[in-house]
Amino acid sequence: MGREAYPKQSLGSLYRRIKESRVLLVGAGGIGCELLKNLVLTGFGEIHLVDLDTIDLSNLNRQFLFRHEHIKKPKALVAKGVAGKFNPNVKLEAYHANIKDPMFNIDWFQGFSLVFNALDNLEARRHVNKMCLAADVPLIESGTTGFNGQVQVIKKGRTECYDCNPKETPKTFPVCTIRSTPSQPIHCIVWAKSYLFTEIFGTSEDDAPEFDHSEDSENSEEIEKLRQEAQALKRIRQSIGSPDFARKIFEKIFGEDILRLRSMEDMWKSRRAPEPLDFDKISQQALVIDTSVTQKDQTAWSLPENFVVFSDRYDFLERLRLGELINCSLRRLSARLQDAQAKAANGDVSPVLTFDKDDDDTLEFVAASANLRSIVFGIETKSKFDIKRELPRKELVDGMY
Amino acid sequence: MPITVNSADEAAAAADDAQTISADEIALYDRQIRLWGVKAQEKLRSAKILLVTAKALANEIAKNLVLAGIGSLTIADHEQVSGDDLCSQFFVSEEDIGKNRAVATAPRIRELNPRVAVHVESIDVRTRGAEYFAPFDIVIITEADLDTITSINTHTRLSNRPLYATASHGFYGYIFADLISHDYVIQRDKSNVPTALKAETSTRSVVAATTRKENGKVVEIVTKRETYSPIALVNTAPLPAEHLKNRRRLRQVTPLLTCIRALWEFQRLSNNALPSHSHADVELFTTLATAKHKELQLPPETLTSEFLRSFLQNIGAELAPATAFLGGVLAQDVINVLGGREQPIQNFLLLDAAESKAPVYSLHPPTNSEDGLVVPVFV
Repeated sequence: MGREAYPKQSLGSLYRRIKESRVLLVGAGGIGCELLKNLVLTGFGEIHLVDLDTIDLSNLNRQFLFRHEHIKKPKALVAKGVAGKFNPNVKLEAYHANIKDPMFNIDWFQGFSLVFNALDNLEARRHVNKMCLAADVPLIESGTTGFNGQVQVIKKGRTECYDCNPKETPKTFPVCTIRSTPSQPIHCIVWAKSYLFTEIFGTSEDDAPEFDHSEDSENSEEIEKLRQEAQALKRIRQSIGSPDFARKIFEKIFGEDILRLRSMEDMWKSRRAPEPLDFDKISQQALVIDTSVTQKDQTAWSLPENFVVFSDRYDFLERLRLGELINCSLRRLSARLQDAQAKAANGDVSPVLTFDKDDDDTLEFVAASANLRSIVFGIETKSKFDIKRELPRKELVDGMY
Repeated sequence: MPITVNSADEAAAAADDAQTISADEIALYDRQIRLWGVKAQEKLRSAKILLVTAKALANEIAKNLVLAGIGSLTIADHEQVSGDDLCSQFFVSEEDIGKNRAVATAPRIRELNPRVAVHVESIDVRTRGAEYFAPFDIVIITEADLDTITSINTHTRLSNRPLYATASHGFYGYIFADLISHDYVIQRDKSNVPTALKAETSTRSVVAATTRKENGKVVEIVTKRETYSPIALVNTAPLPAEHLKNRRRLRQVTPLLTCIRALWEFQRLSNNALPSHSHADVELFTTLATAKHKELQLPPETLTSEFLRSFLQNIGAELAPATAFLGGVLAQDVINVLGGREQPIQNFLLLDAAESKAPVYSLHPPTNSEDGLVVPVFV
């Protein structure tokens, strides 16, 4: 009778092994809460739980271990407290931490008989997959979207591992990944196309299709700051065509905005902090670069090369004032936009430029600014050719808009 | 507080407000509204659900439905919390032993979502007539024997209410659905082949199809109708023709279907008791299972002694991972049925957690395809 009766009855001799096991659960979100409950009730002897998140209102509709009074508290610690009561015989250990922290090393992983992944991102999944392979501990990997989900068992030498199959790059990205914490070239490309390009030349698109707003409410403070940043950029847009336009834009997006992000120390605890770019220094380096660099589209451009493609050589800016034709994407695009605006009849909606990967001016601008951002965040840069391949085709817009 | 209104318009606006979802609710239910839309959420919010017997499986269903934001949940249970209930139930603890099970679980279910009204009935619903079930939008019976399901199914049919019945035995379990006749909508990219308004299976037909332009794509909105059979007919129904015609498919049918039917028969013969490990009980259960297996026209070799042993060992036990699966699938189906979206369970799901399998069989009395009349088959 009592707590062990049913698990003993159903599981037979397996129950002793479960009771003596020491397991790791990574993630205390939607799957994690459910899994923790099941592990605790089944009687797994010792359960370690790792999660770096805090509880948000939008979690409460499914993460049943959390309630309103728990908002802003660490998921791992609250989950331990609540689920621990389901079965006092189970030993629970909770860590409010990132599983990628060096304290969770191979020796530590080797201490578990089984690891469960209940994560929400590719990067952490890959990391745990590698650690489990190195430590030779079986891993049960899981994931869910909408009504669908999957579970995969990964055991070294017996099954394929998480990275054996290339994973499709997700088509949408959380706003904060694009605007604050990029970690892959694609993040910077999406930033350049859907944020920077549209804010400077297009109609500002809060709702670009690549943006996944589902995590906005969890990062509301940062989202608000990003909104202010976008507005400041829009103000700079007013000075389009002025000789120091390139400098203003550059110093805003690769200087001021980066310094603000850098000041948020929590963000960079387990990531490389971004390094701002210095306009004057780079423009000196760029003096020797010829604008024909844009023709070199199959190798990744260097920092000064990207700079030239993005803005211009400093001395070119001087000539720009004289109306000299310069092969520089920012200037070319500025000129096109001003030209379109001049032609528009009074009272018409202000014309905008739209991105098209087959339009070299727009492609070069996006390629160069994506690469400059990659340099800021220590991400690999890409050639114009590769970037073009990563970008979606010209979007079809319904005539009704 | 009484609301004073000055015009018909204001009255209508006030009524609208009461039915539409507040900004707070949108923030709380954000993730699920992204999945099933505001309209389905509004339907959920007004739904009244009856859940019978508050054990592990019912804990899961209650948790999932209350978190999703149904209107009200009525939990009916006439039994007391026992020591065994602590194994797999997360809404009761030591101090609840001896209390009525519905009374003991309700406060913790309420904590999950203060917006949902949770009512308790410490009665045996078997003593109630059709009028008791009529006020609910959906009735869910858990861990009941066949007689109870049959009698409540008669009531739900009389008052035209959808019924779910579910039970778990350790690694094994089932979900039965009798939605009588249920219309639902699916959205899909419009195909080049036109959608015909006709029967798709012996139970499902397409009743309407319209199109809509969405982000430059043509989306088709198809309304389908599933028709169901009551448990009294389902319990004796053969497997679908596409199984019976195919020996390979018959070999793949889980012997769990046989064992659930045998268990129902065993309980009917033994005054509702579950089989013990006594020699007589095991022998009777094996005889019944062999007969049910034959009745289903399943190959004798698929009812192995290992499976029978494993099933008998699991009878009566509650195992959290298995109840979580059944409660998850059932609640998801209830949510979709209330929202009038997605294909519902038609009509018998079997969970074999030892094999990690959960096939759904459509079990109905055979129809005469020429005139569509139901012709009972006597073996």
